[in-house]
Amino acid sequence: MNKKSVLLDRVTWGVLIVLVICTTSMLLQKQFFSRNSGLEQAKKPQGKNYQQIISRNSTIYQQVFTLHGRRKFSLAMEKLRAIQKSHPNNPLSLVFQAQLEYGLGNLIPALHSYRQAVDLEPDYVDKNTPLFIGNSIMALINEAKTILGRERRLKPDDTRIKLAIEEARYLQRRIAGGCE
Amino acid sequence: MPDTAVLTGIVMGAGAVLLSMAGNPVHSGICISCFLENLAGALQFHDNLRMSYVRPELPGFLLGSFFMAVRTRRFQVTGGSSPLIRFFLGFFMIVGCAVFIGCPVKLLLRLAGGDLTGIAALAGLVFGISLAGRYIRQGVRFEPEQKIAAINGSIMPILALVLLIFLLLRPAVVHMGMNGPAAAHAPVMLSLCLGLLIGSMAQRSGFCITGGLRNYFLFREKTLLYGVAACFLAALIVSLCTGRFTPGLYGQPASHLQHGWTFLAMTLVGLAAVLVDGCPFRQVIKAGQGDVDAAVTCFGMLTGGALVINWQIRATSAGVGFNGRIAVLTGLIFCLVVVLFFRRNNTHNTAQESGDRKGA
Repeated sequence: MNKKSVLLDRVTWGVLIVLVICTTSMLLQKQFFSRNSGLEQAKKPQGKNYQQIISRNSTIYQQVFTLHGRRKFSLAMEKLRAIQKSHPNNPLSLVFQAQLEYGLGNLIPALHSYRQAVDLEPDYVDKNTPLFIGNSIMALINEAKTILGRERRLKPDDTRIKLAIEEARYLQRRIAGGCE
Repeated sequence: MPDTAVLTGIVMGAGAVLLSMAGNPVHSGICISCFLENLAGALQFHDNLRMSYVRPELPGFLLGSFFMAVRTRRFQVTGGSSPLIRFFLGFFMIVGCAVFIGCPVKLLLRLAGGDLTGIAALAGLVFGISLAGRYIRQGVRFEPEQKIAAINGSIMPILALVLLIFLLLRPAVVHMGMNGPAAAHAPVMLSLCLGLLIGSMAQRSGFCITGGLRNYFLFREKTLLYGVAACFLAALIVSLCTGRFTPGLYGQPASHLQHGWTFLAMTLVGLAAVLVDGCPFRQVIKAGQGDVDAAVTCFGMLTGGALVINWQIRATSAGVGFNGRIAVLTGLIFCLVVVLFFRRNNTHNTAQESGDRKGA
């Protein structure tokens, strides 16, 4: 090696060390000493405020909830329709709709509403969140299985029943969990 | 003393179910395709926060393999064998896995948990591997890899360390979901330790799901196949003992009933895995032991992990969407074009060599 290449090597090593020190110290400063640290930034947009969602919904749906508890399903449905107009994208409407349809004896629309609710808000079937309602959906599915199975034997070509069975199975798979 | 492949299979099967019990999603104690989808989300390659988490098992596998390879002096830095084709085969492997919803390891775990929808997937995987075996017997192989500069082999272990740092420090560039599968995870230390253990054992034994079946079809060699069987049996026994065995076709977690597409998807995985010489799990292990071609395949798999979500290729409990179907068919077309090219090319080269010899 001639002198020039030895010098070039030394300069390269020197610059490399300086770059490593600068980068590391900048990262450490950002991570541990800055107010707006990466950790805080990372947490902000990803956390869902479940408490806020639950308290807001309990205010919106209070009347529907009360009427449902008194088994006044038709009246509760009317109230729900009004709420759906003012809060069109709230998935809890679909949950109440499913429960009211079930109360009114309409099993197939109830399953369909639950499916729509789960598609709109996957946390309804996530055991790790306070929104989980898998057990009540499962109770409906278990009942639906018996009834729909019997109906299917009587009307084997009824596509409505076939679709309802598929929806029940879909909900069952979603409640079972997994990487989805 | 049982073979190391059998021991690896036992630790892997039992460990995967234990990871599920400790918090990982059901049947996904170990699933390379799910882990890569989670990693792609964490690195913001896709924006589904429910699928965004740096699974410590992945760097664990890489580092375990790296340490074992260095310790046993089997760390050899090689590469240069059709890298771009391997990249796309890696991509399509993940496409196939996403349509089935799980890699070959998860296929075993799903079957061991009683998920009967896995039978169509197993049939597809076996068919794909046997098909690839026939092509290999007829001369299809990529050009041999060569020794390359050692620095190439150190990149993957360093990346594994960076991922661990990301997991611990959680900088702003890394997104971790707080609900859905992202929130379902075992304690970090348990995942990491099991990852290191399984990674090191798999490096030593050459454990590979598709490799086990391929060796049996090609050479009637059963060592790795016994490992695969051990993995399934260990997972089955632990599932049975812990009450996690729920046999059935319906109501299985993260599954669908479109068995034809499941079959085709896993045929794609089997075919691509034999061409690149190993299932997704084996690619990660090989990347840790200095195989740069496997590292390129891993990057293809990571790209696949992002795009299956961005392009809605991934199947859901509702079934396989249009994009997923087209992606599987495109993957099969790609594999067959590659096979035909290398078959023609190798036949041509062999004929030329024998001609040269006669001339000499």
